[in-house]
Amino acid sequence: MKLLKFELLKLRKKSRGWLGPILVFVLIMTAFPLTVEMLNKDIDQSFLSVLWIATLLVMMLATEDIFLEDFNDGTLEQMAIKHNSLSGVITIKIFVYWLLIGLPISLLGALYGFGITSSADLAIQLIPILMITTYIFLNVFSFGNALSLTKGSILGILITMPLVLPLLVVLGKVVIAINLGMNFLGFLFLLLGILSIIILVLPIIISFVIKAHLE
Amino acid sequence: MIKKFIHQFASPKTYLFQVDRAYPYIFYTSLSIYLGALFWGLFLTSEDFVQGNSYRIIYLHVPASFISQSLYLAMAFASAIFLIWKVKLSAYLVRSIAPIGAVTTFIALVSGAIWGIPTWGTWWAWDARIISTLILFIMYLGLISLHDSFTDNEKADKFLAILVIVGSVNIPIIKMSVEWWSTLHQTASITVTEKPAIDPSMLYPLFGSIIGFTGIVVCLVILSSKLQILKREKNKSWVKDYV
Amino acid sequence: MKKILVAENLSYKINDTKLFQNLSFSLNEGAAIHILGSNGSGKTSLLKIISGLTKQTKGEIEKNYNKDICFIGHKNALKQYLTVEDNLSLLEIEAHGNLKSFLQLLGLDKLLDVMVANLSYGQQKKLALLRLFLNNSDLLVLDEPCVGLDKKSQDILCTFLSDELNAKKALIFSSHISLDISAEVLQLDKA
Repeated sequence: MKLLKFELLKLRKKSRGWLGPILVFVLIMTAFPLTVEMLNKDIDQSFLSVLWIATLLVMMLATEDIFLEDFNDGTLEQMAIKHNSLSGVITIKIFVYWLLIGLPISLLGALYGFGITSSADLAIQLIPILMITTYIFLNVFSFGNALSLTKGSILGILITMPLVLPLLVVLGKVVIAINLGMNFLGFLFLLLGILSIIILVLPIIISFVIKAHLE
Repeated sequence: MIKKFIHQFASPKTYLFQVDRAYPYIFYTSLSIYLGALFWGLFLTSEDFVQGNSYRIIYLHVPASFISQSLYLAMAFASAIFLIWKVKLSAYLVRSIAPIGAVTTFIALVSGAIWGIPTWGTWWAWDARIISTLILFIMYLGLISLHDSFTDNEKADKFLAILVIVGSVNIPIIKMSVEWWSTLHQTASITVTEKPAIDPSMLYPLFGSIIGFTGIVVCLVILSSKLQILKREKNKSWVKDYV
Repeated sequence: MKKILVAENLSYKINDTKLFQNLSFSLNEGAAIHILGSNGSGKTSLLKIISGLTKQTKGEIEKNYNKDICFIGHKNALKQYLTVEDNLSLLEIEAHGNLKSFLQLLGLDKLLDVMVANLSYGQQKKLALLRLFLNNSDLLVLDEPCVGLDKKSQDILCTFLSDELNAKKALIFSSHISLDISAEVLQLDKA
């Protein structure tokens, strides 16, 4: 759709918008093995935790001005006048952010997984998990950004972080499941289920919040 | 029909006066119930087979955690009423429950930690129920800071209500966390469907303490809501007469 | 004549401060309304209520247009990090026949490759107004359209708006600078 093309164009050209988070991710994931080697601890066990944390932080960074910029320069206003409900626009925007930031990070994360643990199974299992997780994070943090649109995005993102922590707990269980090689598909479907609910519900809520801000 | 009923009771002024009248009764009744239950539980029951005397902190910990979750559900309910019927009093209530909820959750966490020392050997563990309760605590603080960061009160109320409802996904997680994951916490001893797994001599003081604690917390919420109402309606004439 | 907009007893209150109350007016096609008022009297809020961004506190507003609204507000809705050309493509007006002539008229035709951030304030404003010049709407809502424009551009704007009025479009705007169009005045007083 046209909207998709537009949002893609906007984000693609704004190189600090997508390159920044990816580079931060690369930085964290590269720094991790260096520090761990120096401390001589077991890399495999802590790798996955560092991966989740890095993903979390990078997604927070990525959504820092997902709506802020459009709000400040008036684009959001025009969209609100043109479309009755903003949820379509929001869904597409988040999808574009995921395409340019979430997807590369998932692939990179899996690559790092392979590089650090030398287990191809793990790497392949990581790809879908990371793809879904980054998408969920993106949605929730966009909600946070929308909440504090006029007050600076940090407050909103910090406030919605507690909503994401239960997901981290689930991810922790995924770690165990992966290590013991059991029930991986079950967790995947659980994550998919959570994602589908979030994709349907959150854009509507975010649209409501943004409309309230525009008043 | 429902709309008229709600709008009748939705005036902050009516609420304030009714609550002022009821307050002393609620306060003294619940205080006596709680102290009575506490006395019974602390002095008149025997030791637990496994835990010795240290289990007695149950009379603080269980009411506190139960209340902290119920307060959140109350906030979610009030938020829904505010969003659907635009009753301003609901918004005031949500904002006034938030700090009380935070305090209660804090008490639950600390009393749990104290209980943990003799029973689990540690005052902190990263099990699912503790983490979700900690998340609840952070959420309460986040709600308060979100609301207070806005100068426009109408927007603040709306966003608070939305955030409360979105965050209520945490409550089922807390409640079910002991069922879904194997944790340090024991599973529920008191359920609606089965016979309680706890000895009757401890059950009754426990019920009493829950009821009494609820009453005390209701009093705190009343005080907090009075503060909110007076603050938000301070330009109205009846407030000037009241104060 | 068709009534594009009918407002009855509009009141708007923000945070317990009444901005305006019991405002009633109607706008026919081919007519214009010029909203006048001191700073903070609610001109922008009224325009936002008409465009549907804000909800009025009291009163009814009836909208009767076929196509949509063209709203030009205080913010330009331009992407600062994209070139003029890219911004135009975002506005979906590339294929418009009159685009080239308007660009030449406003002096923007040589600036297609320049990043919007490097344009002057007036040039950005003119670019934002392109949305107005190439609009396909029945109702034009403008909030201070002349800010930052030189005299020549103001004249171009007035000529254009008069042509639009002749083409049976409706116009409602607020401006401290008086425009050379025949418009009914709506005064928002601070009571």
